[in-house]
Amino acid sequence: MITYTIRRLALAALILFVAVTAMFLMIRAVPGDPVKIMLGPRATPELQASLTAALGLDQPIWKQLMIFYSKMMQGDLGVDVFSGRSVTHIVMQQLPYTLELIFASIIWSALLGVIFGAYAAANPNTLWDRMIAFISVSFIAAPAFVIALLSLLVFAVQLRWFPAIGVGEGFWSRVHHVALPAFAIGLSWVGYIARLVRASMLEVLGEHHIRTARAFGLSERRIIMVYALRIAILPVITVIGVGMGFLLSAAVFAEIVFARPGLGKLVIDSITTRNYPVVMGAVLVSTGLFVLSTAISDIVNAWLDPRSRQSL
Amino acid sequence: MSDPITDKETKVKMSDHHQSELLKIVGGVAKNPLGLIGLIIVGVFVFCALFAVWIVPHDPVGMNIKDRLQGPSTTYFLGTDQLGRDTFSRLIMGSQVALKVALPAVFGAMFIGLTLGMIAGYGPRWLDNFLSLVFDTIRSFPTVMFALAVVALVGPSLQTIIFVVMATSIPIYGRVARTQTLALRNSEFILAERSMGASLFRILGIHMMPNIIGVLSVLAAMDIPTVIALEAGLSFLGLGVKPPTPSWGSLLKDGYALIRQTPWLIVAGGLPIIIATLGFTFLGETLRDVVDPRLRKTR
Repeated sequence: MITYTIRRLALAALILFVAVTAMFLMIRAVPGDPVKIMLGPRATPELQASLTAALGLDQPIWKQLMIFYSKMMQGDLGVDVFSGRSVTHIVMQQLPYTLELIFASIIWSALLGVIFGAYAAANPNTLWDRMIAFISVSFIAAPAFVIALLSLLVFAVQLRWFPAIGVGEGFWSRVHHVALPAFAIGLSWVGYIARLVRASMLEVLGEHHIRTARAFGLSERRIIMVYALRIAILPVITVIGVGMGFLLSAAVFAEIVFARPGLGKLVIDSITTRNYPVVMGAVLVSTGLFVLSTAISDIVNAWLDPRSRQSL
Repeated sequence: MSDPITDKETKVKMSDHHQSELLKIVGGVAKNPLGLIGLIIVGVFVFCALFAVWIVPHDPVGMNIKDRLQGPSTTYFLGTDQLGRDTFSRLIMGSQVALKVALPAVFGAMFIGLTLGMIAGYGPRWLDNFLSLVFDTIRSFPTVMFALAVVALVGPSLQTIIFVVMATSIPIYGRVARTQTLALRNSEFILAERSMGASLFRILGIHMMPNIIGVLSVLAAMDIPTVIALEAGLSFLGLGVKPPTPSWGSLLKDGYALIRQTPWLIVAGGLPIIIATLGFTFLGETLRDVVDPRLRKTR
């Protein structure tokens, strides 16, 4: 188990290393001088030269890469082109808002998804089961940003039940503000998780210990809630890691639609102002987050299910 | 090679066989109510995209300021936007853009993923490890974040979206093709080909590929709604298709800006996206069950 953990973390580090290098080279491979793009066509040659030197762009590429890595190891992702503030600082300021949104979505969608999935599996091939299957597919298919827009229109603009912008102050206000965006991006996860739980529940219900529990005359409700569900929800824990990637993507749209601060909004705002160091810093941090969460979920999975350890 | 006549006969039989197989699949899909709904929605969608020019009642980019921000009427089925452009016409033209992005991106990604996956599965171990690492690396970027990084670097356009979609979905096809190739590489018919001295190209292209392409096609069908949503999403952010080209996403962008004045733009732009993605998903899911029920477990 320890060997697996170490190997999995090493793989995560390797992937992150390749990803960072790829992104670094991609920036350099793009036609056009990054300095000219950043400063616009009307910048004076002196200004261009000073920024080139400040960014270290006059060094050979391998040296630039080395400098970039050594700075990154110290937590330095460069500086904002306009304000001169540290990119790490800016990104870390926005990160909690995005994480708040993602966790809120995971919590509500996992709860509802598990209930749907368990109910469907407990009553297989009934009308309820079919309806839940239909709802799950529909939820999975619906694009998060369209749901975000429609829910903004209906619940915030027309009905005025929820605030349309911002994150709020204090616990209840924050919950009130996060509700709609979390609803929008969590919806497709209700579908995914419901399907997953239904499938794994049906598998568990066919096993010996459930048969034994039935033979002992335990109530069906108790069997499902206590004996089957405990095992059937394990796969959910492991998909949440992969889900981070999807939610990080969906959060971009939710943050724009609901004018919430966060990584996504930061990236979009920085693209419009051509603030490349901030764009790259935010993309790097979100990629790192995703790589880490998939690694953790793989390790948890290996801990719960020793068979999966062989795959590495 | 064999006698030309029998060769021709086999070919005819082969194509007959393929056709009946296709009909069988379509029949199987249509038998399922969800599949039928999907088939109809996708049919309407493709029809609109193909014949958009003849369907639109108004010029989709023609402005008519006098009639701006109107609700639905008999002249403008879905109302007009802030420049007096007919929303319905823009919607129909938008379906063309959606398809123009989705089809080349999905098929391009499928083809490249298939090739790379087969090479990874059949080639030497180091190449397999290398390609797997590349696949894993690309998958390690959250899709939209990756898209935004690319758009920030090369600027928004139709080609950029196609590139992003291809780059992010090649690993998915590649992984599946690799696993299938690994499973087949030591099967008897491949060993027989090898012992007869068949070239690598022949083994992979003629013997391996037909066994993998079915699974990948189903994956591709299920991928199309994701791509449509991604194109609309990027255009919504103003980082996709450039105006005045009507895209479903840019329709929503206008609608979002005017959300307090008129709800019609968001409703008119949002519902088609939801309906189209639902249609493709229903079709893809049914297709998967009909073509290969074993796949059901993987999702």
